Order: sequence, then C-alpha cells, then structure tokens
Amino acid sequence: MIDASQLSKSFNNHKAVDKVSLKIGSGVIFGLLGPNAAGKTTVIRMLCGIITADEGEVLINGMDINHAKARFGYVAQYFGQYEELSVWENIKFYARMYNITDKAWLATLLKRYGLEEFKQQRAGTLSGGYKRRLALVCALTHDPDVLFLDEPTAGIDPVTRKILWDDFYRLSAEGKTLFITTHYMEEAQRCHQLAFISSGKIVAEGTPDTIRDALGDARVYLSKIPYQPELRDALLELKGMILVNQFGNELRIVVKPELTLSQLETTIKSVTEKPFKLEITEPDLEDVFIALTQKKAEHA
Amino acid sequence: MITAIIKKELLQLKRDPRLIGMIILMPLLLLILFGVALKLEPKNVNMAYVDKDQSIFSNLVKTGLWSDAYFNLYPVASKKQIIEEIRAGRAKAGLYIDNNFSALLTENKQPHITFLVDGTMPSLTTAMKYHSNSATDDSVTQDMYFSDPDAPPVVIAPDPFIMDTEILFNPDEKETWFFLPGIVGVLMMQVALILTGISVVREREKNTLEQLLVTPMSKTTFVAGKLLPYIVIAIIDFYFILSAGWILFKLPQPSSHLLLFILAVIFVAGMIALGLLISLIARTQQQAMFLAIFIIIPSMLLSGLIFPLEAIPPIVRPISYVIPFTYFVEIIRGLLIKHTELHDLLHAFSALFAFVILFVSASILKFRRTL
Repeated sequence: MIDASQLSKSFNNHKAVDKVSLKIGSGVIFGLLGPNAAGKTTVIRMLCGIITADEGEVLINGMDINHAKARFGYVAQYFGQYEELSVWENIKFYARMYNITDKAWLATLLKRYGLEEFKQQRAGTLSGGYKRRLALVCALTHDPDVLFLDEPTAGIDPVTRKILWDDFYRLSAEGKTLFITTHYMEEAQRCHQLAFISSGKIVAEGTPDTIRDALGDARVYLSKIPYQPELRDALLELKGMILVNQFGNELRIVVKPELTLSQLETTIKSVTEKPFKLEITEPDLEDVFIALTQKKAEHA
Repeated sequence: MITAIIKKELLQLKRDPRLIGMIILMPLLLLILFGVALKLEPKNVNMAYVDKDQSIFSNLVKTGLWSDAYFNLYPVASKKQIIEEIRAGRAKAGLYIDNNFSALLTENKQPHITFLVDGTMPSLTTAMKYHSNSATDDSVTQDMYFSDPDAPPVVIAPDPFIMDTEILFNPDEKETWFFLPGIVGVLMMQVALILTGISVVREREKNTLEQLLVTPMSKTTFVAGKLLPYIVIAIIDFYFILSAGWILFKLPQPSSHLLLFILAVIFVAGMIALGLLISLIARTQQQAMFLAIFIIIPSMLLSGLIFPLEAIPPIVRPISYVIPFTYFVEIIRGLLIKHTELHDLLHAFSALFAFVILFVSASILKFRRTL
C-alpha cells in the first residue's frame, strides 16, 4: 500500500512536483504516465525516500519510508547493479542487504527470470533486456510488498516487454503493489490504475477506461489519408482543433464538438484531391495523453 | 573536427565550476603556502644543554650558539637527559660542557665540549653542524687565550678548546634511513586516498548508489562496510612496502613491532577514512582525484618529511600540526631510527587516533541516505 499526500519538490526554484497525492491499494498495478520531464522520476524517488520531499508525506504499508525500506523494492531507470560482479553475486549482495540468505529462494528467482544460464556472467556484459531482469530480481530478493519500477521497459524489445508484463501481473496477483512510471500508451493500458502527470501536477486519475473521460467533451475522427504537411497545417488552423496525429497512412483528429464534421471535410477537400472517408471513433489513451499534455503547456 | 572536440572539452570543463575552482584556486593557495613555508634554513632549533662549569667561559660558548637565533637553548640535568630529549624529539641538538672546562682552559689544556646532534634528518644535521661553528667563532674564543707572558709569541695559536660532534641515531647520516620510512607513509597515503577516494563517487556516477540507497542499511553500516576492507588491504600493503624497504635498503627494525602495527592500523584507518570523506564531498571522480592530490602534496612538504619542521615559519606551523602525516613521520622515525619510548610518542599516537575519529564521524555525518 502506498499513501502519499501533497508531495512537492523544487529544484533551483523550479517546481518539479506540485502537491501530488496518491493512494494505491494492495495488488494494484499503478501507472504514472507523463511526458519526459513531467516529474515522474522525482515522484518515484520521493516515494522511495532517495529524494526528500520539500513538503508532504509518504506512508508505505502505513509506515514512514525509512521504516518501510525492508518492505519495498525499487528498480531505477538506469541499470544500477554492479557491472564487475556476476549475476549471482549481485543477487546475493542485494539479498544480504535485506538479511536474506535463503539460497534456494534466490535460485528460484534466478530460474523464474531466465537468468540461470548467465549466473556466472559479469552483469556488465548482459544485454539490455537481461540487465532489466537482473535489476528486477535484485529488487525482489526480499519479497517486498511494494515494487517501484521507473520506466521498467524503456528501450526494451516487445518480447522481453511482454515477458516482464506477464510477470508484473503475476506479482500483482500475489498481492504486491506495483508502481510503474511510463510514457508508453500500450503499457499504460495494461495498468489497473493510472495517473497522468504533466509539469509536476496530476492532471487526470482513474482506470484506463475512466481516464479517457479526462479528455472531456471531444470527438475523435479517423481517416485513411497519407501524410501531407499542408493538410496538417490547414487542420491545425481550425478553431476547436485539439490534436492531429498521423499513424502511417492513418490520420487521427481530435476536435472539440463545435468543430463539425462538415468543416473538417471541407478543409481536407481543399488540400487533397484523393477521396477519403472520415469515421468517428473512440478516444484512446494516446489522444488523452497528448491532449492533456498540450493543454497543460497552453496553460503554462 | 579537432576544434569541435576542443570546444566540447572546454564546455564540459566550464560546466564543472568546482573543478575549475580546484585547478585554479588550489594550486594558487598551495603556491602561496609553500612560498611562505618552505625554507631550508631552520630557526630556533631546540638544543638541550648541560653546563657543569657555569663559568663566564662556558657562558661565552652558549651565547655564541644563541647569538644568531639559530639554536634555542634550554638546560637539562645530565648528558643522558640530553640524549633522551633528542630521542623524544623535544630537542634536535645538545651541548655538554664538563665542570673542568674553565680550569683546563686557563691551563691551556684544550678542554673538549660535546655537541650532540640528531642524525635522523641528514639535511638538518648538516645545517646544525654548520651552525655549531658559531660556538668556536673568534668572537667567542678571543678572550679564551691564556698564555704565559714570558713564552715566545706564536703565529697561529691552537684553538683554546675543541668541540666534538656526536651524531645520534643515524651516525652514518644515511639519507635512505631518513627518507624511506616517511616515503612508505607517502605511498600508503596515496594508496589509501585514491582507493577509497573514488569509491562513493564511482557508485554515484555508475548509478549503483541510487539502488543501494533504497536498501535498509544504516549510515554506520555503509561507512563501516566501505572502510574495513580497504583498511585491511592497506595494512597488508603497508607491510609489503616496508618489508621491501627492509630487504632492499636495509632499513632498521623498529624498537617495537607492536607499536609499529598500531601505527599502521591507526594511520591507514585515518587515511582510508579521509579518502571516504573525499569521496562523499566530491561530485565526480575527477574532483576526488584532485582533492586527494591537494592533500598529499602539502602532507609531503609540511610534515617534516623533507623539510625540517623547525624550518617552517611559526605562522604556517599550525598547518603542519593539522596534517595527520606529520605525526606518522614523527612516530615512524621514532620507532625505526631513534627508538623513541612510547611515552614520548603518545601525543603523536593520540593525535593520529583523533584524526581517525574525526574522519570517520565526518564521513558518517556527511553520508546522506538520499541522492
């Protein structure tokens, strides 16, 4: 269980995190979603106690951080295990830091994360994906109730990412709370609970389904039109336009209700001669993500 | 392309103001310090004397030694006491005048006086021997000629008295005896400071510190865990280097192996702890290296290792006494060459021990469980 209230942190007069409060129950996979520099890492570091919050309080399982250290694990964004030590030596080291000496248990972890064949290999020579697995194992040696993962799958191939996510679900099914920061939508979809952070503030919170409502009253249109810079520019000039996003040959447009379908069609026709069809569709997390981030930037 | 690299290097340097401070301010500070401090000519060298004669003539000899403020004379009870004073380091030289000095002088029998000198520091020994000539200067001896008025005049009168020089502790004035024990310390200081000096900074730079800080370890656990292995390694290294000195350069054996071991432990522990402190203060490995060097250089020059402490002017002298290495030099020379007794080294041992406590506590205080 994670209970954070009114966390704030400034660096050189810049407010990195502004009054962030979070309540996360057991067994929940919680995703903190936000663009780069939104304050995700600062939040997760404050929750782990390696950055002291200027204001606010963190309780983990009802205890303050320094007393709860044996109850949570943390995997930093960058590989932070000892490169000169072997996989097994790293695992044993972290286990000992929590007074864990049960070798059989550590061997189970090693096996579960497919690290057995690299047991004696220096950690520094592992590939990116296996480094992540090792980092995860090192954070799990003391079987924590809460696991903090800072961008756990950044720069990881889809297969390894899936393996890691399968494991996150297993850990959550065991009753562990997982706190994950990410800027991948696909990953955010997988979380039970989400919060959007932008410029240090939580701008939306809820399940992936309810969070789509954060977009407010907006419509999303989809069309098969190849990328044309002129079209993009013309659309962005329209009043009530929220977002123009190109995916290959697919154009995605998020607009306020006052911008009508016919207005859109007229604009598109004026630029392209090819036939097209605009379809209305459901907003996805990426729409919400970009729209909310933009809104924030406009306000700023 | 080359200009791009040059520009990049300069930009990187510019972004590390602490490092710029280190490469500009610290050499300047050291230059000024050494400019003021480094004098080969000692002044006020302590000299213990016994004057059993207590005559106007023996006073002339002492005044001769006093006169150019080179020697600072103080009386002790016996010749044995003079040697003890020198052994303990309270005096570097001694003067012994027997009770028949003036009697023999008046009878023209060329009495002998003894000038005793500490041989552990050959440069100082040479300087002291040179300056002791002021005792036999013409201004001193001119009134000491007692000749028979009826005797035929002599062209060159023999000296009225003879001053014997007795070199203590390192009678052959071997330079290696003087330098090597201290050099062993310099090497150990380097090993210790660099070994631990980068230990925490490195963890910070390689992101392993962040991962370590979330574990429930206490500050004391961290500091002790960082210190102990290096202390053991450095002690072994100390004996390894010293043994090489014994074998290759025939360095003398210590008066007490136990005291030597205690010295090794305390000195090495202090230096390792100082290295850890450096590592906690520095933000990059480069900064840590600079800090270490800026500790090592003054330690070598102001500790009495190369230049006698007596040659360091009083305004800079306090700096010598806050350098742990000063006490190491005093103790190791005492143990290996002068065979100084423990009670005369106790203050130096206590000072070194105090440094250990200081550096360890400062490290514990300085270590933060946050990034």
